[in-house]
Amino acid sequence: MSMKDVVKEIEGKVVEFGGVVETITDTAVFVEIPKERVKEFAKWLYNAGAFLKTCAGVDERSINSRFAVYHIFGLDEKGIDVVLRISSLEGEALPSIASEVPAAEWCELEARDMLGLHILGHESKPRLVLPQDWPNAVYPLRKDVPYDYRPPSSVENFGKELPSEVGLPVGPYHPILHEPEYFELYVEGERVVDVFYRGFHVHRGIEKLAESPRFTYKTIPFLAERICGICGFVHSSCYVLTVERAAKIEVPERAQFIRSIVLEIERIHSHLLWLGVAAHILGYDAGFMHIWRIREPIMVLAELLTGSRKTYGINIVGGVRRDIDESKKKKALDVLRNVREEFKRFVEVFTSVPEIVKRATGTGVLPKDDARALSVVGPTARGSGLRRDVRKDYPYFAYRLASFKVPVYSEGDNLARLLVRVDEVFESISIVEQLLDALPRGSIAVESYEIPSFRKAVGAVEAPRGEDVHFIITGHGRPYRWRVRAPTYQNIPALKIMLRNTPLADAFLTIASIDPCFSCTDRAVVIRDVRSGFRRFASLFEGRRYANK
Amino acid sequence: MQISRIASPLKLLTIALKVGRVTKKYPFGPPLLTESFRGAISIDPAKCWGCGACTLVCPPNALTMRLEGEKIVLEYFKGRCIFCGMCADTCPANAIIVTKEFELAATSVEDLKEDVIHKMSKCAICGKPFVATAEIRDVMKMQPITEEYANICPECRKKRAVKAFGMRFGAST
Repeated sequence: MSMKDVVKEIEGKVVEFGGVVETITDTAVFVEIPKERVKEFAKWLYNAGAFLKTCAGVDERSINSRFAVYHIFGLDEKGIDVVLRISSLEGEALPSIASEVPAAEWCELEARDMLGLHILGHESKPRLVLPQDWPNAVYPLRKDVPYDYRPPSSVENFGKELPSEVGLPVGPYHPILHEPEYFELYVEGERVVDVFYRGFHVHRGIEKLAESPRFTYKTIPFLAERICGICGFVHSSCYVLTVERAAKIEVPERAQFIRSIVLEIERIHSHLLWLGVAAHILGYDAGFMHIWRIREPIMVLAELLTGSRKTYGINIVGGVRRDIDESKKKKALDVLRNVREEFKRFVEVFTSVPEIVKRATGTGVLPKDDARALSVVGPTARGSGLRRDVRKDYPYFAYRLASFKVPVYSEGDNLARLLVRVDEVFESISIVEQLLDALPRGSIAVESYEIPSFRKAVGAVEAPRGEDVHFIITGHGRPYRWRVRAPTYQNIPALKIMLRNTPLADAFLTIASIDPCFSCTDRAVVIRDVRSGFRRFASLFEGRRYANK
Repeated sequence: MQISRIASPLKLLTIALKVGRVTKKYPFGPPLLTESFRGAISIDPAKCWGCGACTLVCPPNALTMRLEGEKIVLEYFKGRCIFCGMCADTCPANAIIVTKEFELAATSVEDLKEDVIHKMSKCAICGKPFVATAEIRDVMKMQPITEEYANICPECRKKRAVKAFGMRFGAST
């Protein structure tokens, strides 16, 4: 079925459900559905093979005095996004689609927390994003809340919610790892029976900050890059991609190539980093050291091509800021050849180490059906047999011109996710080589552009951890609303399924196996014995201690 | 079979022996930086106009401008700098260059701040300081405008234009 037929089919359905098609672009269809029938429509879309990417609550009172929720679906096979808009007046209830599409739960809870929307079925659920001591009637993403608003920090707000037992203040901010999150694992003897997750400790209000007069379209890429410390370039790329789509800016081909090249270099270093951390968690420190040694030339290469080892800072709306000349190209190809050889030799050793293979096989299993229901992304999805890759499904930048395989394993265990990453390193090296060889001539940025107000666009970029989605409604000088959905956001709910009924010793590797990136979304883990109530804190790296018992 | 399974992890030893030691003797060895590394910026006070273009593009507000009496101060605070180099790309006077300096630790916050101080010109009509003297000098080099025009602040320029316009239509003052 061609793209036109798909769009026609969607249009037909929208009319059938009493909705309106707002705009159709090359990559997305924006529709408005009466809120009474959105559940049915979402169900139809979901059964037609669409994955839920995310939803975004928007305070549109200054435009049309309504609150809106945009449900962003992606038809992977057709490479088209379907954006459902439902809206309500202040105080009116909005339906939830979480019963039809389980993946919608988190983003609906976030819309409830951040905008104070009344979403049916979520009334009694605890807060997801906002901290417990946040005042009750302040909704930070509403436009009338100033971007630099700080609630008075008072003990009173804690009130009755203060837990009666207080653990040692070790977690959730672990001194070794820089990202705080909080897992409570309920164990019965050695088995995990339930998981409780509390995250968003490092919610920095970046979306709100970008709406402030402090930032403009030009400076937000640098802010976006700081969403994540490992895959920052993905976020800045996704931001510029979305703005360029909204404003219909034609980006020079050479800039597209450079963006793709740097994205792949970022993927290589991120996967190597993860493999090293996985080895470390499993107590194979020699492997950890060697992988990071292999990774080092990639970091230096990134510095050579962009000017910085991390947070490259070369993305701007309409192009890039640093060019790749012939001498850099030659050096890059040399480095990649060496890294490929060294990594190949090392992987042979790595996959023959019994402590890696035995502990990764059959642990943390995520069945394909659950992976589909939760719309998981990236290596987590590909390890569970879902062939999802934004680079193939929704080609952007220069990926159309590169040939590469998408590694898929059907086992769904930790080893499958590990092998997906190993394979992807080789694929990425090959992509960079292809793109460097085919680098076209020309300018690297457009001279000038104009960004009209109130255009909407969805952009998705394949991060090392999965699909990163940005949704933008343009405004004057800066986005009116900028919604960021990092890949880990989509993958964490799957941990509940992976962790249930696994031995405690494997929990640490399993949590790490989705390659969590919590600032985008501490690796301190609380373990509580169901029978005795005994409670203690542990770091992710302590997993081997349990294994050796 | 059994032997090879035990032996293959040991191949790491041959890799390790071949690679040898990779830790660099920083800071005694050769520099670790590549040619395109971006470090702290340096502002040449002789070239700077004090126009403030850099403060507008600086994403983290590391470059700020403030008035101090009759002086205009451009402050560079390294503690906030993200080393993106947008200021160097933007500077119309090419006064900012990106250096390779990255060892920026200091014992006091004040050591991380650098000031470029500009004298301000006073408006020829109202006498209020309104712009850095260096900016008037350099703008006049680039644009054929008279000194009389350049030495008047935007407020007075506006008033004068309105007055001239009014007189043409017969207003008394």
